[in-house]
Amino acid sequence: MPEFAIEMKGIVKRFPGVVANNGIDFSLKKGEIHGLLGENGAGKTVLMSVLYGLYYPDAGDIRIDGVPHKNYRPAMAIRLGIGMVHQHFMLVPRLTVAENIMLGQEPTKSGVLLDQEAAIEKIEAFSKQYGLPVDPRARIEQLPVGEQQRVEIVKALYRGADTLILDEPTAVLTEQEIEHLGEALAKLKQEGKSIVLITHKLQEAIGMCDRITVLRKGEVIGTVDAKETSERDLAEMMVGRDVVFTVRRSQVTAEPTTVLRATEIRACDDRGLEALKGVSLELQRHEVLGIAGVQGNGQAELAEILTGLRPPTSGTISLGDLDLTGKGAKAFIDAGIAHIPADRYLRGLVMTFSVRENAILGQHRKRPFSSTPFWYHQGATTRFTREIVDAFDVKTPSVNTLAQNLSGGNQQRLIIGREFSKKPHVIIAAQPTRGLDVGGIEYVHQQLLKMRDQGAAVLLISMDLDEVMRVSDRIAVIYTGRIVAIKDPEETNRRELGELMLTGSLSSERGVGETA
Amino acid sequence: MEEAIGAMNFWTILGNIFTLPLLLATLRLSTPIALIALGETYSERSGIINVGVEGTALLGALVSSLVAYFTGSAWIALLAAVITGGLAGGLHALWCVRFRANHVVSGIAINILVGGLALFITSAVWGWRGTSPSSPPLNTWYIVGAMFVLVFLSQVFIFHTRWGLRLRVVGEKPEAADTAGINVHRTRYIYTILNGMLCGLAGAFFFNNVTRFTSGMVGGRGFIGIAAMVVGNYSPVGALGAALLFGFIDALQMRLQTYIPSQVSIMLPYLITVLVLAFLIKRAQVPAGLGKHYVKQ
Amino acid sequence: MRSVLQALKQSSFLQETGITLLSILLAFGVGCLILWAAGYSIPAVFINLWKGAFGNKIAIGNTLTKATPIILTSLSFLIAFRCGLFNIGAEGQMYIGAIITAVVGAHLHLPAILHSIVALFAGGLAGAFWGWIPGYLKAKRGVNEFVTTMMLSYVAIGLTDYLVAPRGPLHDAQAYANQTSAVLATARFARILKPTQLSWAIVVAGIAVLLVWYFLFRTPSGYELRCVGQSPTAAEYGGIRTKRKLILALSLAGLLAGLAGAGEILGTHFRFVDGFSPGYGWDGIAGGLIARAHPVGTVFSALLIGALRAGALQVQRSHAAPGDIATVLQALVIFFIIAPTLVRRLIRWRRRSVQ
Repeated sequence: MPEFAIEMKGIVKRFPGVVANNGIDFSLKKGEIHGLLGENGAGKTVLMSVLYGLYYPDAGDIRIDGVPHKNYRPAMAIRLGIGMVHQHFMLVPRLTVAENIMLGQEPTKSGVLLDQEAAIEKIEAFSKQYGLPVDPRARIEQLPVGEQQRVEIVKALYRGADTLILDEPTAVLTEQEIEHLGEALAKLKQEGKSIVLITHKLQEAIGMCDRITVLRKGEVIGTVDAKETSERDLAEMMVGRDVVFTVRRSQVTAEPTTVLRATEIRACDDRGLEALKGVSLELQRHEVLGIAGVQGNGQAELAEILTGLRPPTSGTISLGDLDLTGKGAKAFIDAGIAHIPADRYLRGLVMTFSVRENAILGQHRKRPFSSTPFWYHQGATTRFTREIVDAFDVKTPSVNTLAQNLSGGNQQRLIIGREFSKKPHVIIAAQPTRGLDVGGIEYVHQQLLKMRDQGAAVLLISMDLDEVMRVSDRIAVIYTGRIVAIKDPEETNRRELGELMLTGSLSSERGVGETA
Repeated sequence: MEEAIGAMNFWTILGNIFTLPLLLATLRLSTPIALIALGETYSERSGIINVGVEGTALLGALVSSLVAYFTGSAWIALLAAVITGGLAGGLHALWCVRFRANHVVSGIAINILVGGLALFITSAVWGWRGTSPSSPPLNTWYIVGAMFVLVFLSQVFIFHTRWGLRLRVVGEKPEAADTAGINVHRTRYIYTILNGMLCGLAGAFFFNNVTRFTSGMVGGRGFIGIAAMVVGNYSPVGALGAALLFGFIDALQMRLQTYIPSQVSIMLPYLITVLVLAFLIKRAQVPAGLGKHYVKQ
Repeated sequence: MRSVLQALKQSSFLQETGITLLSILLAFGVGCLILWAAGYSIPAVFINLWKGAFGNKIAIGNTLTKATPIILTSLSFLIAFRCGLFNIGAEGQMYIGAIITAVVGAHLHLPAILHSIVALFAGGLAGAFWGWIPGYLKAKRGVNEFVTTMMLSYVAIGLTDYLVAPRGPLHDAQAYANQTSAVLATARFARILKPTQLSWAIVVAGIAVLLVWYFLFRTPSGYELRCVGQSPTAAEYGGIRTKRKLILALSLAGLLAGLAGAGEILGTHFRFVDGFSPGYGWDGIAGGLIARAHPVGTVFSALLIGALRAGALQVQRSHAAPGDIATVLQALVIFFIIAPTLVRRLIRWRRRSVQ
């Protein structure tokens, strides 16, 4: 009986311009939970995608259960007992849980018609065995993110996975949900499954895994026993230097002045369900207000409300004396509200436009770019773009390069440069560090704090609790469309905030014996 | 007294229009629209937009006339039409999937190509630009019947079989299908070819309806078929319902020609289509992955 | 010399042009196959094609005359395309523009040049209205503009057909054919290359090219239009009113097609005749695509299509082959142009086999 469920030797995978995996050796023992740790872009997902058959390696060998395999597709990997739960769920929103899970292995009546009941029975059996509650008849789009993830795991098990690969599973979960996941993983291990846990979070790796392999820039730095290492050691392996959080918030002693006020905002999401149920916020000058919350509790809609991309169904928004309720994005931009959008591909940039044309997006009708509707000033645009590129260190071959040809970090710098150079009074930053590496994240935080020091009011919406705690002066927790608490980061902790994010209240504030 | 005669005239007119022949004409005229709408439903549910259905139907009619002329058999002609339609669908799929052409533009190119080819071939073969000689047709009611069978089979197929499930997933979220081991590209090829085959069948209907080929015989019904699919919300039975509506209008306008100028009544189907789309469309359930190229590594 | 070649190789403009030219060559290649399979003499076809398009002054005049409306309908398709919309109703918009122009030209009494301009703009505005309808439907009700522009095209052709039919309100009482009365001399565009039909309309087309270029690339409104075409979500984020741009794009598309119709009436036919357009609206789709959606490129693509059309008449006349081979060629060119990966792959394959 082979000791290893998976053995990968000398894996090389190249993409245009980058070597994602550069001769990686990785092995997974049967019945262990093995963490694959590394920064964004270290090559973790690529390595596992190679294992799963989504990519063919340029070099290297793979043994599954001791048997070598080459150039296979996911269908084969599934047959060999490998299941992968991706960071971005591979679920079809409009179909039911059962339909999503049985895809590819559909049970049939008389060979032709789908046998939904048989599938549902099987799903409920798995669900029970591994402690992963899911509702087979619900449509994916109706489920909260945590349950969707459980669906993904049950899907892998349904297909007969003995080896599970989980890619950044806790990225969208809170403390308590992470605990539940940990329990589920332990149960799976008990039942004989082998698990690879891809993550960039140090505590998780140590807390949940038996062994940890650290990747940096496509290479293995080392494999250690979780019990014999520390966060500091791992951090050093991950980034190659002592990680010191250089960003410090300076104390601001200015008088608090409210700049942007939102009162009793109610709003619906794209599906017409109420996403915000009476939210009131005040953004002050010289302050970063962090919004902490699990994805899907109304943050996205809140960001859109405060930038004019979504009209509230009731409530008011005002900037000083100016009433902005119900006005479009243009009014907000003109009022001096800058927006760093959560999705730079969809909102932040026109990918097929050049850097130059992106730099003026939002201000293209203003001086000095166009003084009349009939002329827009090429020279001024180019000068302005060059200034941004220099000031914000956007690495690009020329101002005429298409935005899609820039790296993610540089795209974000371009957006930040564009927004901040407007000297805005208010900055709404939604997930501003998504997809950036440690250096990029530090830069964004620096810039946000710089703007705050200069007097701007900053709203930071982030799923990363560490980020929110580090950068904010006040933290508001959003839960099912309501602000349930506003805390001073010095006077709270991750556990408290996590509880608020998940349950909407603190057990210490509820009576003893009440259930959440 | 005169008023009574006037009223009687109105009711007699109505009585002349709404008759059994109208119902039968509705069924017949809806058939090609329904076939095209069904085909497009399959194609778009796999993620491929095919506006070349107009040209493909015309191609089917052309091939029908050619093969019927040379073999004397309308049935062989029908088979040829279906096969050729499938080839056209395959060409479109090749362009969209392999060469990543813009779906709409590729469809437009097919329409222009078939338009030109039809005129070219009829001139080359018979010396008549855009028309063919007459050939003995088969009874179009066979095709009508086939259409009903296909629609109902498709409804079951798409929503109650495993291949239908896979089709729907490919159209909604190709990545999910891919990671489940389903070949997205092959699925798109298959259903676009099927689309082409159904359009070829529609073309055969057009030919057999009037026993010859004329270059304008599809007359926009391919596009009406697409509209029918949208109104029918991407389901076969829905598409049939919408096609029946449009077929009814088509049949109606022919009868109205004795009462109003022909040019006006010819406009009716197109005008009604616009109005239906404008006012009857709620949020349509468009497959989420429609029109986007799927690239796997 | 080497560095110049290197620079040329890098230039994306030249790359694009090269691919376009190669696509045309490939299309002609396939066209030759079809001619050969049908038993026609390829040299005879191409000689007559050339003769009809560029052989002498008259041929060139014909080519340019045909290219004139095609430039405008290509611009029509292109401007909608730049906003992410498909305007395939140019033919119908042309008809609407044409008939209004004919009426204004025949029944208004104004001094010479002014009359032309007024009639021209009347046609343009009429076309703009016909484009506005699908634009409005798309913006306010999300209706697929591909289908609506197509349907309205049929409606337009049927409507004008009715208006000029023997018992129709605009029919010229003295004529048998379906047409309006003649446009007054004060409205007509002067011919500039007798005895061909080439008129000042081509100057109008040329000005339109410049104006469209300027609008798209040098005005904020055009910037917004292109932005909506490339990324409606980013456009919204940038404060752009997306819906207005959709309506604007289709209205402008209708305007340009309407001008095409107006030009044909005032410059070529001097009256609205049923069937005055041998499909210039549809040619505009090909023209816009072959021009790679660049306004200046429409001059080239319209010339190509105009040449094909003029040449096709000669091919037909000389019995070398059915003239419709031109339409087939046109469609083949589109096929190759829209599949850049195909063409690139062929280049790479050729290069590899040469080494």
